[in-house]
Amino acid sequence: MSTAPYLSEKPEVAFPAPKPGKAPGAKSLSVGRLFMLPGQAVSLLVLVMPLLVALYMSFTDWTPTRGSLTDASFMGVENYSELLVWDTRFLEAVGRTLVMAGISLCLEFVMGLGLAVLFMRRFRGKSLLFSAFLTPMMVLPVVVGYTFWMLFQTNGPVNHVLHLLGASGAEWFKDSTFAFAAVIITEVWHWTPLFFLILLSGLNAVPENPIRAAVILGASPGQVFRYVILPMLRPVIIVAFVIRSMEVVKLFDEVFMLTRGGPGSSTETISLYIYKLAFNDFQLAYGAAAAFLVLIGSLGLVHLLLTPVKDQLLRDRY
Amino acid sequence: MFTQRLSVLQAVVMGIALILVLFPVFWLLMTAIKPPTDWNASPAIWIPSRPTLINFQTLFDPDAIREYGVGGVSQSATAAVIGSVFASSLATFISVAVGLFSAIGISRYSKGSRAAPLIILSGRMFPPAAIAVPFVIIFSTVGLIDSYAGLIAVYVAVTLPFAAWMLKSFVDDLPREIEEAAMLDGKSRIQAHLTVTVPLIKGGLFSTTMLVFILNWSEFMFALVLSYSNIHTIPVQLAKYVTATAGTLYGVQAALAVLAMLPLLVGGLLIRSHLARGMTFGAIKQ
Repeated sequence: MSTAPYLSEKPEVAFPAPKPGKAPGAKSLSVGRLFMLPGQAVSLLVLVMPLLVALYMSFTDWTPTRGSLTDASFMGVENYSELLVWDTRFLEAVGRTLVMAGISLCLEFVMGLGLAVLFMRRFRGKSLLFSAFLTPMMVLPVVVGYTFWMLFQTNGPVNHVLHLLGASGAEWFKDSTFAFAAVIITEVWHWTPLFFLILLSGLNAVPENPIRAAVILGASPGQVFRYVILPMLRPVIIVAFVIRSMEVVKLFDEVFMLTRGGPGSSTETISLYIYKLAFNDFQLAYGAAAAFLVLIGSLGLVHLLLTPVKDQLLRDRY
Repeated sequence: MFTQRLSVLQAVVMGIALILVLFPVFWLLMTAIKPPTDWNASPAIWIPSRPTLINFQTLFDPDAIREYGVGGVSQSATAAVIGSVFASSLATFISVAVGLFSAIGISRYSKGSRAAPLIILSGRMFPPAAIAVPFVIIFSTVGLIDSYAGLIAVYVAVTLPFAAWMLKSFVDDLPREIEEAAMLDGKSRIQAHLTVTVPLIKGGLFSTTMLVFILNWSEFMFALVLSYSNIHTIPVQLAKYVTATAGTLYGVQAALAVLAMLPLLVGGLLIRSHLARGMTFGAIKQ
């Protein structure tokens, strides 16, 4: 690929340009239809339909004991108002997920950027090290959760090292602050490599001429980084944050393996809460309403993140 | 400024980072070859003095561990391994095959719908627990609950947008002129796509297949809520060991975790040049 890690928006033109005398417009459209049909059929059947069912359900009081969905009584927005006004556990889970996301994403960004900058230098064994640093990303979330659950055991290696360093160690899963920290450490370990990967490909695509120009004009390396490289990295940084925020809202597997949301509900993420609502308490309709609130919230969040770079992303690459 | 060598301090920082990155994997591997006495010893045993493969053996023969005086492995992991391989492979195949057609359709025939990426992104943002709710209800009524057909349908639903969008970014990279040339040679549109476009994105097709497989193989929550007794996958089996025995089977669980992880490490390394593109839905091209 030429240079660019920029968003792959291209001016879209219907394919191919009409040829005189053959009137291919109608035909090309039908071929396009044909190609897209299987995908649309599958999406309609297994994605759109369930979502519509869930949306309808979120306005009812349905639970599995009430028989079929059509027997449930329609309650309007009662589930939603209940969630937003009275359900402190829901609101806390939302807040907690946001705090977790904020802390993890910032740590992942800073460490990923640091590592990516180091990788712009010359050294031997770079490609081997590159692979090594990507390892965590390829481990299953469940396995990551189990591994860190072992690491943070009272007899585990983390406490062992702390003891050797003279600290007292901790009961990681019995104290809410430590449990919270354990979840964040796990999350940061798992996903810093993604920031590293994205930022490194961004750095690799930064053109050299503006940098040379800045150096000739007398900029220090710090200034070059701050005023030349960082602004050019901005779209890539935003992409990284958007992708990661979408995933972190769904944080479930690792927490399930590590703490199950405990102690108490001190590490309960929004996904874990919805899971418990739906599959432990069988409050399916209520859980669906919670899910739609989360969806609206995350869409808003992504929109907010994308706003400052939207023009830049939709314009053609520079 | 980017051609300098690494300074000593920077090399040290990188060394520490490397240790932090690799340590959890190291610990998992070590636990998988520890005999039961070393599993949760105090102080922690870092490298087992008598490494053993008994944990791996126990996965497939639950009684093997009894020679160490440990009982209580309720279930062999054979069904989970077979189930995972079957469900992930079939779901990946369907998802990529359907996604390939959609990719060509979107890339070549659809007139710039700016909304499409947003729709796909919002699909990814929806908490899986919530998608699982309607699936459980619909599947209970049509008899697909606790069946591989149901599980595979969910996996396809979740990974299809991903496959289509990633493949689209590879088709976008091909100039349209190549297909036009093939059509001037007398091929029909469909022939041109199948015999020219598809072979030219082989690399992308392989990477997409690997990534979709990784997603399916790692999936946990849907398998958890859709399975009662008929379907088994490795991630669910792994979580079951924890609940069933309250963490007394460290080594056996670690062995299963290692088995689960190995194919992904190999696959991930094979496609690392396309990882950035895959993980960002084609937004970043490397």
